[in-house]
Amino acid sequence: MILPKFEYKKARTIEEALEIYSQYNGEAFYLAGGTDLVPLLKHRLFNPKVVIDIKGIEELKTITKKGGNLLVGPNATLYELKGTPEIQEKLPCLFQSLDATSCETLQMRGTIGGNIMQNTRCLQYNKSLEWRTARGFCYKMGGKTCNVVLNAKACYSNYCGDNAPSLMTVDAKARIVGPTGEKTIKVEKLFSGDGKEPFTVKPGEILKGIIIPLKETKGAYEKLTVRGSIDYPLVGVAVTIKDGSAKVGVTGIGPCPRVYELKEVNEKEINNIADKAYEDAKPVLNAVLTPAYRKKMVGVLIKRVFKRIEKGGSR
Amino acid sequence: MDDNLKIVGKRVVRSDSYAKVTGSALYTADLKLPGMLVAKVLRSPYPHAKIISIDVSGALKVPGVKAAVSGFDAYGVKWGVFRYTQDHAMLPTDKVRYIGEDVAAVAAVDEETALEGLSRIKVEYEPLDAVFDPVESMKDGAPQIHNEYKNNINIHVHIDVGEVDKAMAKAYLVREDTFKAAGEAYAMMEPYAVVASYANGYLDLWMPNAGPHVRAKALSNLLKIPLNRVRVRHINSGGAFGGRSEVAPGDLVASLLTIKSGRPVKLVLSREENATSSRQVHDIVATVKTGMKKDGTIVAKDYKVIYDGGAYSSTGPIATSIPFYVYEECYRFPNVRYNGYRVFTNKGIRGMYGCHGRAFLAGNEAQMDMMAKELGLDPVDVRLKNGLTAGEMTATKSKITSCGLKDTIIEASEKTNFKKRWKKKEKNRGIGMGCVAIMCGFPMGFRSGSSCYVKINDDGQVTLVTGLVDNGQGNESMVIQVASEVLGVPMEDINLVNADTEVTNLDPGAYSQAAAYVGANAVKAACENVRKRLISIASEKLGVPESDIDLKDRIAYSIKQPDKRMPISWIAREAFFRGEPIVATGSFFPDIDFEREWVTRPWGQMAGTFSFGTSVAEVEVDYETGKIIVPRFTAAHDCGRPINPMAVEGQMEGSIQQAGIATITEGNMWYRGFLLNPDLLEYKVPLACDMPEIDTIIVSSHDPKGPFGAKEGGLTVRMNAYSAIACAFTNATGILFEELPLTPDKVLNLLEKNKGVK
Amino acid sequence: MKTVKVTINVNNEKIKLQVKPYETLLETLRERLALTGAKEACSLGSCGSCTVLLNGTPVRSCLILTPEVDGASITTIEGLKEDGKLHPLQEAFMEKGAVQCGFCTSGMIMTAKGLLNRNKKPSRAEIIKSISSNICRCTGYKKIVEAVEEASKKMA
Repeated sequence: MILPKFEYKKARTIEEALEIYSQYNGEAFYLAGGTDLVPLLKHRLFNPKVVIDIKGIEELKTITKKGGNLLVGPNATLYELKGTPEIQEKLPCLFQSLDATSCETLQMRGTIGGNIMQNTRCLQYNKSLEWRTARGFCYKMGGKTCNVVLNAKACYSNYCGDNAPSLMTVDAKARIVGPTGEKTIKVEKLFSGDGKEPFTVKPGEILKGIIIPLKETKGAYEKLTVRGSIDYPLVGVAVTIKDGSAKVGVTGIGPCPRVYELKEVNEKEINNIADKAYEDAKPVLNAVLTPAYRKKMVGVLIKRVFKRIEKGGSR
Repeated sequence: MDDNLKIVGKRVVRSDSYAKVTGSALYTADLKLPGMLVAKVLRSPYPHAKIISIDVSGALKVPGVKAAVSGFDAYGVKWGVFRYTQDHAMLPTDKVRYIGEDVAAVAAVDEETALEGLSRIKVEYEPLDAVFDPVESMKDGAPQIHNEYKNNINIHVHIDVGEVDKAMAKAYLVREDTFKAAGEAYAMMEPYAVVASYANGYLDLWMPNAGPHVRAKALSNLLKIPLNRVRVRHINSGGAFGGRSEVAPGDLVASLLTIKSGRPVKLVLSREENATSSRQVHDIVATVKTGMKKDGTIVAKDYKVIYDGGAYSSTGPIATSIPFYVYEECYRFPNVRYNGYRVFTNKGIRGMYGCHGRAFLAGNEAQMDMMAKELGLDPVDVRLKNGLTAGEMTATKSKITSCGLKDTIIEASEKTNFKKRWKKKEKNRGIGMGCVAIMCGFPMGFRSGSSCYVKINDDGQVTLVTGLVDNGQGNESMVIQVASEVLGVPMEDINLVNADTEVTNLDPGAYSQAAAYVGANAVKAACENVRKRLISIASEKLGVPESDIDLKDRIAYSIKQPDKRMPISWIAREAFFRGEPIVATGSFFPDIDFEREWVTRPWGQMAGTFSFGTSVAEVEVDYETGKIIVPRFTAAHDCGRPINPMAVEGQMEGSIQQAGIATITEGNMWYRGFLLNPDLLEYKVPLACDMPEIDTIIVSSHDPKGPFGAKEGGLTVRMNAYSAIACAFTNATGILFEELPLTPDKVLNLLEKNKGVK
Repeated sequence: MKTVKVTINVNNEKIKLQVKPYETLLETLRERLALTGAKEACSLGSCGSCTVLLNGTPVRSCLILTPEVDGASITTIEGLKEDGKLHPLQEAFMEKGAVQCGFCTSGMIMTAKGLLNRNKKPSRAEIIKSISSNICRCTGYKKIVEAVEEASKKMA
């Protein structure tokens, strides 16, 4: 399958990347690992005039320890990050979600920035132009309907990133730089909740870094898939326990990951959160297992992850 | 000779593997011919619509587009395997019948230009009501997909042996269940591709195929070109599994484009096109009614099986029958009725599959276990009691000549401690067994046999010429091994020229399980004729009787006086001197009843012989998530004598993946006529991490007519692995499956519906 | 549209090319350099049949733009032989019967090569995890795992 026509530009600095972006009036995509972007382009889901390769920007690659934080450049690969001793020692939930992402080969190419900022997915969206033209364009393709839910008012595509929920449970923050300056926001604030435009970042803005607090935590990640590798989560649950309280992240179901807080870790609290997350989950028939089942698994997996942590944490 | 085999029966390195591990093995998409154009196909966006007009002239105005065609450029011929199934024009002019159907095509200097050309083709449609469910499709008033077939019933196979109703009424225990299964994707790693080149009145074609001769014949018909002017050439095939058996729309498309443009044309389907628009596997609904005696003897079977046939006939009558036959070739059914319906729907074209019939076969076996349990019997005893043995006849009058079924059941159950574990099962764990038989070939008229031509070259090296084809299972290496054994030369001395319709003779192909039993037998016969000539000359030259001569390591020698010896190359040269080079042909034609017909006369000898197999699966069911884990899988197979045990194991292991683990992962998903998972991400081909520990047991037996005693190798596991999983699930949960694949959502649903069952 | 100049080292040979800016590495290898060992099976990164090594690390060449690898070293299945001798992985795939239709084979071997580059003695579990990046439709993977084990032994 060939790619649509576009130009290729390599940026050496963030400023240069922003400049190219504005030169092309925003008809541009930033390219890091490409494991999410290239299939989207092959399917003609986007037709940019230019692809701006940001892999050469040094400051986006580094992983450094500063103060009590790990500063992670978004272009660090998932595999590099997985091998970072601080993550292995202190952040078991994040380590496990990195390890559970796709497969080894794609972990070595895919970046943490790209993984967080991956587009939402739907069985009726990630298809060729011919398939989608025959079916008719939905909201996410600029059409006026949803092809999955009759009379839906919004897009129900699923956010399938494995690592954003883990990062949310460890209170990670994202640094965003754009034409109008720089800001630091909680990872959860990256998500708009709208499947059509799943991110709050504005056109041209670049994820510059991820700040991960390095505190001793317990945690685990549980992922529901049909196969043991390559697959996106049909439901993913991340749990991190720190200083007696816990956070739960849920992914793979609906247009954004959600995070929940437990003031205390006890059975009652866990059940409450499991129920609440179950209520919040609004899956539709756009992934390979039924919506009712996926909804049910949100609660089941939350309870299961806590049990696993209690027994010693690792999978 | 059989008792002292030098190479047959040994774990040899396959002859094709060097090219494959070095990347030099060529597949169709790798070919480049001078001036070659790239083809792209415009496909139907409708599941069912009348074609009002097709105008390709716009495409021809795009610079770089060299030809554009539609069905109006073809010859109005429709393809069908049988006279009564000729309904597939490949490029339709009347109606489109599924989303993704080939409608028009262009050939251009590159892919971008071809895509530009496609966008200029104008097709006017009048959409029609469509039907997607075979049961709905059979109802009065459903949209009629072909005028010739009332109620969209493409094929009805009706078999009625004995007195089913009477026997059922007298049975001690009767049970009826309905089982469903989603159709699978072949998901061969190589997406379909064709290279076609027309010059000087000859059409040359390369494509992955499981029978070059039938492919050439179909194209000769479709293109109205004499058969000898259509030459299907040899090329490596990246997997077939039944999905490359028949002529494909792309073959016609590429042929028309090369004829029009006068330049070679390459068409490569995308992965999505391979799924939507090359062949698919039948979805099945099987109702199975069984009557048993108190002692577990099956007294009657009554079947109604509905096959979702998609838009055209394809191998219709065969597809409608095979699941039944592989089962009746395994067990004794004194009274049996089978009503198989293949029904048209507005979905993609379907074909036979190596794992065809999982709802029917797994349903039968799982139901048998439920009944055994009720009768206080165990699955092993019930299978042994009902299993056929050598010398017996099947219900439809095929004689079983050699039969290792019993050995496969016993060896698989002993290896897994089956009886004990089935009875005294651990919580959430189960063990299950599936059995099946496979016919080694089936009636294909004069195409049922194979022949081979062999020549000894002046350096003593050998050239084998056979129509036999390899889709990755190792057929090429197998016949080289056979020739090496007979001729006493190492495998590397043998050149194989095969699957090229210009030089090779008819062969049944690699889709009726006939390659070992028929194809290799023909090679053996030809090599034995050559061997006789070699020995005759050697006897004369060495002055010892023919009976005293053997061939080994490129040498003919006296067995009694081993110092009397001469190289085979000298014998070859001597023969050239005499003006009688050493060449020979040999052929094999199986004992089949050629009066047998799939619909009108479904009885008589089906094949020369049958192979047998038993699979045992162990499963763990997670009651919270519905996930099934398969920690261990054991498969026992009677394939006669394995020619290359390593290759047979490979077939068995692959079958455990493609039929066994697929039971919990694989199935096509549809939204009306749209295939929702036409890719390798959402269609779940099992990965290395999903595989169980595997034990393969080859039950060596000796088929009296097979080459060195060999029969089909591997396919039994492909048709019983799902049964083992389904039975193990039933053993673990006390519940019969209702629908495959047993994905966690379906499992959890079943567990909840049947709460309390144990 | 303007082409992009790239210099790549492919199988130890420095090659200068003018490529389309939207050309994938897989296209460059197959169409320009006649290195057809890497296969296009899904084109979307789901199967691994197009795997090659980029500076020693396995990548899906269908997901990489050729301009991205300017200045890099690429190893394909055709470049795996050393001094005309098969690599131990290639030998082991043959001897263990790990090859059937062969369409996934080059990608599978390159993935395994990547694993052995970073881990000379992988455990069976590590091998399974690593080759779970690739789809094989024929073998059931058992003999592939055995072949990788055998190769790592041979190389020790």
